[in-house]
Amino acid sequence: MYRYDEFDATLVNERVSQFRGQVARRLAGSLLEDEFKPLRLQNGVYLQMHAYMLRVAIPYGQLGSTQLRRLAEISEKYDRGYGHFTTRQNIQFNWVELKDIPDILQDLAEVEMHAIQTSGNCIRNVTSDHFAGATADELMDPRPWCEIIRQWSTFHPEFAFLPRKFKIAVTAAEHDRAAIRVHDIGLHLKKRGETIGFEVHVGGGQGRTPVIATKVSEFVPESEILDYLEAVMRVYNRFGRRDNKYKARIKILVSETGAEEFSRLVEAEYAAQSPHEKIALPVTEIERITAYFSGPDLPARPSRSKAFDDARAADPGFDQWASVNLQPHKHAGYTSLTVSLKPIGGLAGDATTEQMMVIADLAETFGHDDIRVSHAQNIVLPHIALDDLHAIYQQLDQAGLATANESLITDMIVCPGLDYCNLANARSIPVGQDIQKVFADPAYQRDIGKLHINISGCINACGHHHVGHIGILGVDRKGQEFYQISLGGRADEKAAIGEIAGKALSQEEIPAAIKQIIETYRSHRLTKDERFIDTLERIGHTPFKEAIYAAD
Amino acid sequence: MTSVRPKLKPETPKAVTAWDTQTGQTVWMTPDGSWSLSAKDLGIFVGDAAEAKLSAARGQENKVTDPYFMEVTENGTICGRETLRENIRSNGPTVAYGKAGKTL
Repeated sequence: MYRYDEFDATLVNERVSQFRGQVARRLAGSLLEDEFKPLRLQNGVYLQMHAYMLRVAIPYGQLGSTQLRRLAEISEKYDRGYGHFTTRQNIQFNWVELKDIPDILQDLAEVEMHAIQTSGNCIRNVTSDHFAGATADELMDPRPWCEIIRQWSTFHPEFAFLPRKFKIAVTAAEHDRAAIRVHDIGLHLKKRGETIGFEVHVGGGQGRTPVIATKVSEFVPESEILDYLEAVMRVYNRFGRRDNKYKARIKILVSETGAEEFSRLVEAEYAAQSPHEKIALPVTEIERITAYFSGPDLPARPSRSKAFDDARAADPGFDQWASVNLQPHKHAGYTSLTVSLKPIGGLAGDATTEQMMVIADLAETFGHDDIRVSHAQNIVLPHIALDDLHAIYQQLDQAGLATANESLITDMIVCPGLDYCNLANARSIPVGQDIQKVFADPAYQRDIGKLHINISGCINACGHHHVGHIGILGVDRKGQEFYQISLGGRADEKAAIGEIAGKALSQEEIPAAIKQIIETYRSHRLTKDERFIDTLERIGHTPFKEAIYAAD
Repeated sequence: MTSVRPKLKPETPKAVTAWDTQTGQTVWMTPDGSWSLSAKDLGIFVGDAAEAKLSAARGQENKVTDPYFMEVTENGTICGRETLRENIRSNGPTVAYGKAGKTL
């Protein structure tokens, strides 16, 4: 993984000192909240329902065990013994005190972490495929490019005050696990002959106006990508709306301008860049950054593991878990495992201090010190020998971390909702828990197969409801919580925005409605291997809508 | 940014609530104008007196942040359109969290 050089360390430490002074002035009353708010937001500090919330950046979702241990220590020392992993591969602490935040940031800086680019109208933490560098289905590792873009974007003087926040995602696999088409810019690494480059998608996003991104370039060579991104950002910075925050994202600019005209503007800006402005990334710099991501030196192993096979035969719980939570690795004898943070009746994405410590220990002992956070709010250990899996499983099980539901119906993306969030209109967490209880039987879950339910407590869509196969949106009806179901969304390479199924339902009605949807799927699927989303797309939404509202 | 807060009529009984600037904890103004961590201690204000209390709260920036009116009954019970939100602010999340939220 990337390690700080002296520039990174200086930059982060100076930011901590600067913010320490700003906090001191706020607490002394010489900075008013209106003056302080933009400063705290630039350091990841929000004021939520019950307390200040600190959002810590986890660049492209990668951590080492030292860093995860430090997050665990922070959760114990300054918070209430847990942290919440987010859909942007970051972590949030929900109960921190303002007076402590400079010390927390200093603790983070010691392990090469910070809260920069986790809030405000800047280029946010770059996100990526949580299996990057390990999966068998990628062209190459996208993380070096995430890091290059991070370095380019951090404190970029032109892009510190954009019309709105700006999110970039990078993938190198045909199966898109980074949801690039619902980002402001989505980059897909491609190869033309021997040249590496990027397919560029612009103007995707969720929120109150969900849009699938437009492909604005088939191929930008790697040496030109930063200049091209700079051209996109300049067009957005110049023409993006600042009069209405709901129309300020680049997706609105692309749709109002028209994709063709927007592309022309970008090309014109790109062509107008003078030679002294060009970054023209040197090959040596790409190689320097790439070297940080060379990955662990994995000893050769046979593709089959007798220890793994024997343990599966002897331990039914392990067998179930292994059938669901493993991803093929590019090296024989290894796998990437998902540690589900979605226990039945638990809080999606939350991990206690002890659980974070257990995962850090496992990563250090068995996982080459590599830990990933997925945008689905789970943890991934990307490089695990099959021989070690049973020992890992047993430790995860003891820590309450062995839920076998990766990408199954109970592995829901759920935003914090009205239980924590000032923006929310309705609670999300209890709705997710109620649905989980209906589908708690592991065999039932496996029979249903891969299916994504995403839940948001308001139209800002932090729970990605627009791109859930089944989306659930909390709405306020004269002070009462109601929930709108949508069908057919997806965040992968066939990204689509879900369509609202009908009138909103009460919280009590939602579990039964989801059950109706699932039973309709099970009765219509051609085979057990036909996924929910494929059945839905084959037969259309009508049977599902009729099933939801049959009692009306 | 918080969600849009409903505008309350002058004659509507109301309390003043905010966040403790140092800790971020939710606080409620008591009848004597001090601050309490418990909504049970809130003061009930009406009309010009309520406006004066809110104005006073806004003048205590180093002590409390973003004070606003919340609707209460004449007995001081949280009521109105924001009842659920204000009850959650007052009582904490409606779900067990941290160690208590884990089904081990």
